[in-house]
Amino acid sequence: MKKFDEVNIGDTLGPLELTVSKDQCRAYAKAAGFGEIAGRFTDEAAAKKEGLPGIILPGNMSLGLLSKLVTDWIGFGGARLIRLGTTYRVPVQPDHAMTIHGFVTNTNPDDRTAEIDVWIENEEAERLVTGTATVEFPQ
Amino acid sequence: MVDYDPTIINKVFEHTDPVEVRPDMIERFCETLGERNPLYTDPAAAKTGPYGGIVAPPSFAVTFRNGRHFFEHIPRFGRRGFDAGKDVEFVAPIHPGDKISLSSHVKEIYEKTGRTGSMVFVVIRSTLTNQNNETVAHIDHRFMNRP
Repeated sequence: MKKFDEVNIGDTLGPLELTVSKDQCRAYAKAAGFGEIAGRFTDEAAAKKEGLPGIILPGNMSLGLLSKLVTDWIGFGGARLIRLGTTYRVPVQPDHAMTIHGFVTNTNPDDRTAEIDVWIENEEAERLVTGTATVEFPQ
Repeated sequence: MVDYDPTIINKVFEHTDPVEVRPDMIERFCETLGERNPLYTDPAAAKTGPYGGIVAPPSFAVTFRNGRHFFEHIPRFGRRGFDAGKDVEFVAPIHPGDKISLSSHVKEIYEKTGRTGSMVFVVIRSTLTNQNNETVAHIDHRFMNRP
């Protein structure tokens, strides 16, 4: 359980190395209710027809993985992720190794919040998805 | 400058019927993200936690779909826009059994010129409310269009 007084600018989250399989990507698309627009997330041929290299992760799944990086860091506690902004720069492909990172950029004792840069990199250290998260700690 | 009907800004164009959050929906969602945090996965442990029981992981908020006519209300600028990103404000946790509705409006439209030329961004704001009419999240979807 993360406490506000333990958080310092420059603290890192992760890095977390993982590879999302195509089946996991399809399972997410299904669990997240992507219905008729799911082609590019579930069907190789449909994705290629759109000019993609193959199926890609839904943006929401990348957002979910970044959210999970932060909530894992918080642990089983009263601190809460109150904001997460993401930018989808480059499509994220399943079956490719990726690394998820976080870095505390600011802490504010007045409202007991921490600002965290979060991002997903591919093997070439190219940032595919970037974002910022705000965590609020209890009094 | 990009040309659009300014009256579209802030006009609520959609209010979806409530969707009930079943425990198995949260469970399946957690599985697909490899979620292990007991706050979201372990009812007994979650009882002793800050919410008094299991809640959905924050990002579950982005899985509620806008209605079938969602894209008909978004002004088009050239080809269909693609998802450029989201900005989510998590106001309150979502509990199993909650009934969540979504209402959406066009928040802003702006133009940007990048390395690859001109882009028009349309920001749609969706607000999620539960059965007690409490706001649980605000989601700003940014769609990028190339005129």
